[in-house]
Amino acid sequence: MILLEPHNFIIHTTLHEKILKPSSLDVQFVDFDGVRFHITTPERKTVILLSMHIKCWDELVRYGALEVLQREYGALLLPQPEAEYNVSLQIDLEQVPGDAESREAFVMSTALFKRNALAAPFESAFRTQKQLEASGGQGELMEIHYRDEEAIYVQAANDRVTVIFSTVFKEETDRIFGKVFLQEFVDARRLPTIQNAPQVLYSARDPPLEIRHLPDLRQSEDIGYVTFVLFPRHFQAPATASATISHIQLFRDYLHYHIKCSKAYMHSRMRHRVAEFQKVLNRAKTEVVASEKKTVSGRTLVSR
Amino acid sequence: MSTLAPIICDNGTGYSKVGFAGNSDPSFVFPTAIATRGSTSQGSRAGPAVPAKPGHLASKRGVEDLDFFIGDEALANAKTPGYGVHYPIRHGMIDNWDHMERYWEQTIFKYLRAEPEDHYFLLTEPPLNAPENREQTAEIFFESFNIKGLYIAVQAVLALAASWTSHRVSDRTLTGTVIDSGDGVTHVIPCADGYVIGSAIKHIPIAGRDISQFVLNLMRERGEMSTVPPEDQLRVASKVKENFSYVCQDIVKEFRKYDTEPYKYFERYDGEHTVTGRKYSLDVGYERFLAPEIFFNPEIYSSDFLTPLPEIVDDVIQQSPIDVRRGLYKNIVLSGGSTMFQHFGNRLKRDLKQLVDRRLDASVLASGSVLKSSGVEVDVISHKRQRYAVWFGGSLLASLPEFYTSCHTKAQYDEIGPSICRRYQIFGSAT
Repeated sequence: MILLEPHNFIIHTTLHEKILKPSSLDVQFVDFDGVRFHITTPERKTVILLSMHIKCWDELVRYGALEVLQREYGALLLPQPEAEYNVSLQIDLEQVPGDAESREAFVMSTALFKRNALAAPFESAFRTQKQLEASGGQGELMEIHYRDEEAIYVQAANDRVTVIFSTVFKEETDRIFGKVFLQEFVDARRLPTIQNAPQVLYSARDPPLEIRHLPDLRQSEDIGYVTFVLFPRHFQAPATASATISHIQLFRDYLHYHIKCSKAYMHSRMRHRVAEFQKVLNRAKTEVVASEKKTVSGRTLVSR
Repeated sequence: MSTLAPIICDNGTGYSKVGFAGNSDPSFVFPTAIATRGSTSQGSRAGPAVPAKPGHLASKRGVEDLDFFIGDEALANAKTPGYGVHYPIRHGMIDNWDHMERYWEQTIFKYLRAEPEDHYFLLTEPPLNAPENREQTAEIFFESFNIKGLYIAVQAVLALAASWTSHRVSDRTLTGTVIDSGDGVTHVIPCADGYVIGSAIKHIPIAGRDISQFVLNLMRERGEMSTVPPEDQLRVASKVKENFSYVCQDIVKEFRKYDTEPYKYFERYDGEHTVTGRKYSLDVGYERFLAPEIFFNPEIYSSDFLTPLPEIVDDVIQQSPIDVRRGLYKNIVLSGGSTMFQHFGNRLKRDLKQLVDRRLDASVLASGSVLKSSGVEVDVISHKRQRYAVWFGGSLLASLPEFYTSCHTKAQYDEIGPSICRRYQIFGSAT
């Protein structure tokens, strides 16, 4: 598995299961970036309530998350979300389409709940870029504080959309891995096969010019900034645009996932090497000569 | 809820149960299997792939180490050329750390979709697990995944905690005997105040797989299996075991019941050929009560293991320290899928009670009928969460506020090192 999937596995499997065999349930689970889900059947076994809590919900609403969710889910979206959660969907299992293909599409769209909510600022940036093409200038700088210390900044300009991630590494080792990885992102673009990929810039410590004026930026050794420059070719066609959004919002998790995979790989190399050394050491052991001691007459000496 | 729910990960020999604390069922139950590139026979002897050029970046060395599947997907890919299926856990203990590390990696990132940095973890271990294994596990979780905090609990203790949901349990104690019967092996484990009495543990080589095999043998002998395709036979047998079996109180009476009124007691099983779709159906008869009977009369199935389960339980308790024996008799807890048979608990309780009473009578007689015993209370507790009792117990304990103080945190690990995970504080007991 190289890429992380955009959909939530638990929602996907639970819905499929419950469509076949409705039963009461009450489950809480999470998704990346501290998103919490709660899935219940409050009244009847066939009516499922799916609620989500996102840390940066207020910011997302400001950038049009409600409209995006309204478009995706329509009447499923409840006007009043469940207490302690930001947004709720009500799914009536009896209304789910019957044939396998459209059912799968429906379940998949529900499993993309978090992705769709987070997609709003990106979609609005893509729209702003269209408008700015004629007039020029810059769009609003959108800040999404999706984690305690990290944020995504999205800004549209007349010929591009800039996405900046601030990354914080708590762990010394991770920081070094992260640096090498991010540098690799910058270098990879030189390969002829991926010339069309978005441009990636990486700066440790100093924030890029686009967001330098913001007041709440922390300057320290462990912070880094990754800038993606998306050109219209990355989001002009609707299919490419949605793929771009799915990939880019999972960037941080993707990075951390691969840091962990690298560590796991190095650990397995280390274990292998230690096992090899162990073999060499075992070979070097001197053999204890256990010869029988006999008297002249041929009797064996037995120790008591 | 300011912090995110702890993750409970119960990796067994056959199946892994993973999910979030506070829920009543695990989010995922899948086989503890991993399908990797390279054949099974070659195994780990060849070692991991060596990069052509030094460095650890994917572009420089290829991505063989990311090319693997776990759980159901692993079994589905077992026949794909180039993949080999491995089972990283043997007899409850982790056998291959490389595979296990990658297995956890995908469990967390693909299935649970959680960031390990934000979560506490509760893992389980078999009784008598070596402290070195605990250290290795801690190393993986703290250094590869940077988790917030870790607690490693003994499966038997969690099973005891799970029994608190039963309405028959009045005091929340961690003293009791756990009968844990899964697919491969059955353990009888005595616990006193949350500590396992290691010297008294006994294993029984009869468990789920043997019961299925026994059902299959019985049905073959009766000629029922002739219509079933050979590759489906074992699966059909285990379905019959799961859906129709129960424990009877008297085997002779049960046989007579079936013989006089076969239409009332015989059941029909309907199946379908997995490839051709041909329908078949078969009669399910005596195996309904004979299947679980191998726990109580093992001689009907095997010739090398002959001690019935109640006797083993009695032995285990008699080998435990004398001051906890009453507690052990009073709180016998069932856990695992193979203890789910109807009336299993009642039968065990009755047989055990007979053994205990007989011994008491003998000692009364030996004392010349002067000293009378006040009797020993024997109780077997079965409850609704028995199948995933260990996971459920973990979920229960991890949702208590004390859980966080009993965990070893990342900061403590960094300060002291892996040896910190050799010991864990027992918590959750009301006493």
